[in-house]
Amino acid sequence: MPNKVVAMILAGGKGTRLEALTKKTAKPAVSFAAKYRIIDFPLSNCANSGINTIGVLTQYESTDLDAYVGNGEKWGLNGVHSLLTSLAPRQTEEGANWYKGTADAITQNLDFLDENEPDYVLILSGDHIYKTLYNDMVDLHIDTNADATISVIEVDPKEASRFGIMAVDKEDRIVEFQEKPKQPKSNLASMGVYVFSWKILRKYLVEDAKDPKSEHDFGNNIIPKMLNDGLKLQAYRYKGYWRDVGTLASLHQANMDIASNDEMLNLYESDRETRIYTEDTYSVPQYIGPSGSVTKSVANQGSVILGHVESCVISSDAIIEEDAVCTRCVIMKGARVSQGAKVHNAIIAPYSIIKPKEEINLNSDKIVLIARGGK
Amino acid sequence: MAKILGICNLHDTPSLGQLTKTRPLGALSFLSRYGLMDFTLSNFSNSGIDRIVILTESNTSAVLNHTQQGNVWINNTRTGFLRICVNEKYIDTPKFNTDIANIESHYSIIEDTNPDYIILAPSFFLMSFDFRKMIEFHEENGAEITCLYTKIKHGKKEYLNCDTLEIAKNHVITHSKANVGEEEKQNISLETFIFSRSAFDKIIALSHKVSSLYGFRRMVSYAINHHRIAVHAFEYDGYVVPILSSMDYVNKSFELLSYENRQKLFLDDWPIYTTTHNTPPALYGEHAKVKNSFIANGAIIKGQVENSIISRDVTIEEGAVIKNCLLFTQTYVGKDAHLEYVLTDKNVKVKEVKELSGTKDKILVIKQGDII
Repeated sequence: MPNKVVAMILAGGKGTRLEALTKKTAKPAVSFAAKYRIIDFPLSNCANSGINTIGVLTQYESTDLDAYVGNGEKWGLNGVHSLLTSLAPRQTEEGANWYKGTADAITQNLDFLDENEPDYVLILSGDHIYKTLYNDMVDLHIDTNADATISVIEVDPKEASRFGIMAVDKEDRIVEFQEKPKQPKSNLASMGVYVFSWKILRKYLVEDAKDPKSEHDFGNNIIPKMLNDGLKLQAYRYKGYWRDVGTLASLHQANMDIASNDEMLNLYESDRETRIYTEDTYSVPQYIGPSGSVTKSVANQGSVILGHVESCVISSDAIIEEDAVCTRCVIMKGARVSQGAKVHNAIIAPYSIIKPKEEINLNSDKIVLIARGGK
Repeated sequence: MAKILGICNLHDTPSLGQLTKTRPLGALSFLSRYGLMDFTLSNFSNSGIDRIVILTESNTSAVLNHTQQGNVWINNTRTGFLRICVNEKYIDTPKFNTDIANIESHYSIIEDTNPDYIILAPSFFLMSFDFRKMIEFHEENGAEITCLYTKIKHGKKEYLNCDTLEIAKNHVITHSKANVGEEEKQNISLETFIFSRSAFDKIIALSHKVSSLYGFRRMVSYAINHHRIAVHAFEYDGYVVPILSSMDYVNKSFELLSYENRQKLFLDDWPIYTTTHNTPPALYGEHAKVKNSFIANGAIIKGQVENSIISRDVTIEEGAVIKNCLLFTQTYVGKDAHLEYVLTDKNVKVKEVKELSGTKDKILVIKQGDII
């Protein structure tokens, strides 16, 4: 990529639908796949794509997330030409404001972008699980001379009315955008991943900021306005695994995909081109006890499995005691499933304790969250 | 607080045969994710010692590979440092390649840091030890040199060839000699010393007069037995895992599968830091059967594993059976292979052979990189 791409990761949302998991934690900082946090995915994707200048837009419970982002060392983004910084709302000459929408979050950081002089700005979401290189998308944007390129994924036509849908022409140029339409004109859903030519984006953001009726949102305001003005918006057809993990059920399902080593989201590929990086813990290696069993699962170092585990995702320092049985559970850091307890289809929040012989959610298809953590 | 320089000494170590041919003992893999030297380095780190030197005889690349993320053990990366010293001059003459000659060839580190105390510790006595207690003892006794020791009960079998100490009531060591297995109860030197700066220089100067072949350990014994410098003894009554032979290495590794033993070596408030490798969590397949084993991240387990220690990025295919084995990093065990009492070094691929077995008393070692 000879042209300079700066990535801006939207990571300020409260994540209300993750209930107690985001009570003290921003959604992008929620644990995923035994060892990672959700935001590791877009950050690692950037690092693997050779994108070295990244702003992470934080707002809700920003301290923990800001500390996690740190100087970028976890993703190798602390090199001599790299800049990773979290950008929380702050007091400026113009006053003090919260980020009022996804577009406003970028508008309030125009200085950061101006200083870094990008040719293109990549807008990403901090709560998507996928492994990709953004290079093809940026190349498409350049080759088609687009003003904006939107990553789209084919969804089941029956589900299309739940998404922002892009209607396209023969060359995948976007002709219409429909937000959660009753009668969708295509099955191409926007992933909320955009490439913009910087000068054009800058102009639209400045104008949008002056519009009192605008919600200052990319999907609802910026994109429709660009379409209306006849700008060239290109669809980039994303192929592969991609999940928005905004709900307990989707977070649980994405974890189950990891446990079953879903081919599309393979963390164990040998070429390492899209490896996901994260912080590491200094726990002892994981230990499986003499009467324990583990199948169709992943487990991180520091976990101790003395009971029975099937189709589970087990984070560091989690303990499954003897005769405990966990099926289809996401067991987060430091959680304890006590002797003889049985848990099914659950997300067990960090440091939560399941009491001895307790039975939770057996024979249920619904996903439950157990959050009893002291820390 | 006094200024302290910590030296992790990889010279003067026992040989573990095949296992120490390609690496210093301190860089040997342990319990699937550590290097032996991690314990010493973490003890320094947890004791607030932020200036650390590793003295290595040779095989520098193994040490460099393991310590590439020096920040792991260092608290402040500007005021602290982790440096690796090898004495190029004597690399081809092992007898002269002593720890004393090594630090002398890097003496500017001592001059630049100007420490009040220098702590020298080996990599093959594994423990969770707070050096601050020993420093306190050293200061209270106005000692020039303090030697760490432990009391043992089975000296006829254990800690053979280690230094056994006679200690007077005032904690001064009166005699030091090799343990040749004559007595059960002994005071065994853990070859860990605090030197006041002047005593450190005195030992080096003394070595010039006595022998160019002697390292710190021999010179301290000499100083004791010839009454040249008073050496105090400080007792460590905690858990020590000595790695003095390949049998020790294998047996002690397996002993730590026991939760009780593990709790003695790994303390809650005393993390053992190690280099990390961005490996994904371990993956267990549909037919995985794992019992009483340590599994490191990045491992893919589709077969059966019992009483074993499985390192990073090991793959065990379906139908494979692993019992009482130590499999080092990136070992691959193909379908239906049966391994019992086998140690595979790094990058071993078991593809063609379906049966490999050693015995409890003699584990079968497969060399680094072998494809069989």
